[in-house]
Amino acid sequence: MTARLRVERAGPLCTIQDTGRPGLLTHGISASGPMDRGAFDRAGRRAGAAGAAGIEFTAAGIGLRVVDGRLAAGWDGARFEATVNGRALDWPGGAVLAAGDRLDILPGRQGNYGYLRFGATLELPAVLGSRATSTRAGLGGLDGRSLRAGDELRLSGPEGTPEPVASMATEEGPIRFVWGLHAGLFSPTLREHFVSARFRVTAAMDRMGVRLADDAGVFAGESILSLVSDPVLPGDIQILGDGTPIVLMRDHQPTGGYPRIGTIVSADIDRFAQLRPASPVAFRPVTVEHAHRLLRSRPT
Amino acid sequence: MIVPLGDAALLVRFADSLSDEANRRVLALAASLAAEPVPGVIEVVPSLVSVLLRYDPRHSDPGMLAGEIGLRLHAAAPVAPSSSRAISVRFGGAAGPDLAEVAERLGLDEAEFVRRHNATPLRVLTTGFAPGFVYCGFHPPELVLPRRDSVRQAVPAGSVLFAAGQTAIAATEIPTGWHLIGRTGFRNFAPHRTPPTHLAPGDTIRFEVEP
Repeated sequence: MTARLRVERAGPLCTIQDTGRPGLLTHGISASGPMDRGAFDRAGRRAGAAGAAGIEFTAAGIGLRVVDGRLAAGWDGARFEATVNGRALDWPGGAVLAAGDRLDILPGRQGNYGYLRFGATLELPAVLGSRATSTRAGLGGLDGRSLRAGDELRLSGPEGTPEPVASMATEEGPIRFVWGLHAGLFSPTLREHFVSARFRVTAAMDRMGVRLADDAGVFAGESILSLVSDPVLPGDIQILGDGTPIVLMRDHQPTGGYPRIGTIVSADIDRFAQLRPASPVAFRPVTVEHAHRLLRSRPT
Repeated sequence: MIVPLGDAALLVRFADSLSDEANRRVLALAASLAAEPVPGVIEVVPSLVSVLLRYDPRHSDPGMLAGEIGLRLHAAAPVAPSSSRAISVRFGGAAGPDLAEVAERLGLDEAEFVRRHNATPLRVLTTGFAPGFVYCGFHPPELVLPRRDSVRQAVPAGSVLFAAGQTAIAATEIPTGWHLIGRTGFRNFAPHRTPPTHLAPGDTIRFEVEP
């Protein structure tokens, strides 16, 4: 099965992703990979994806045309609207597309990131073992950059079998985190305030990090100077010198010297990534053991 | 001190501030874990004063891992530098616009600063911040200067940077608050090569004036 797709419209920061390139932090390279891993995986099962790579699109969506061939596609993540040749289809969902078909993913009601996966395999070179794009490091995808109108993507090889995917219940409630490396540098009063206050997601967000507004002034007047750098992981909540909290995401810098009060648990990072600008966000501390139970109780 | 960094990693920290001894202990532990891996540890990242150990939170018990690592800490012996490399640098001028100010603030003329900067071989303390970006140290106390007050939004690949008793080499274009003192043709990052960097923590670096 071969097919050719042309990108006819791309919102900002639509990228090729796969499970990423973990294991290279010691070379100064963060792993990248989907902002919402669960949704990326579900889109793949809907498509019967034989390959590991797919498209991550952002709130403005993406439009693609099948130039030639025929292919199965699956979509999932947040809530967008999908149309094929102008006809609305289910979200999440999937379809078999033929030459000439135009697939449009239009902005929807919820979330920041959606995923498009295909039955056949995207023909792209692996860089350091992965096709995931890091625009920060200029690696992967199409020359390490975001997708743009006019790009062509080729697919080839056998297709997998699409699977039914149970729709996910939307989780609500505070974002759970484990107290961090530098939590002890903040006073007990401040830590109490941190877990009772509401923060707000701002529009200053990308694959590297999400800046929060501290409307309650939890960190106002805090002046912890920058510290010796330590390795950074996705989900780390760091506090800049001016008191701004930033949550580091998949394309994070590999090391950082700002104080980190905590790290969002693995089970909640996808959900956090989907919070739109202006969404309120509260944090709840859990133990590492609790975080592991959350993860292990979840279907893979 | 072994602390969790989230629910999928442990951080072994040897100090709260940068020191030669803490960095040597980092290198020793990383070498020990490379020579004899601890089952369940899927990534070992030596940093300036800490070693990050990633594990699979679905399968591994961090308490068990911390126990294993604790045993290693007692056994880990200092490591000898694995290799040595000369890095040729064009100091000052357009390649290093901060050289004059750095020298002046240290009470030296440019030539004398460069001579002292290059006099002592440095050690690669860690790779971090950006692909292939290496921190090299340590300079003697009389060559210690804090970072600049302002950040340059972009310095080119090959920039040689100076601050905090260290010299760093940028392998890609980066923003930086360090003093830009020169440029080298050496690039410590090649994405299509395995491994993608040439230098490893612990390597010895000798800076030279580009002939």
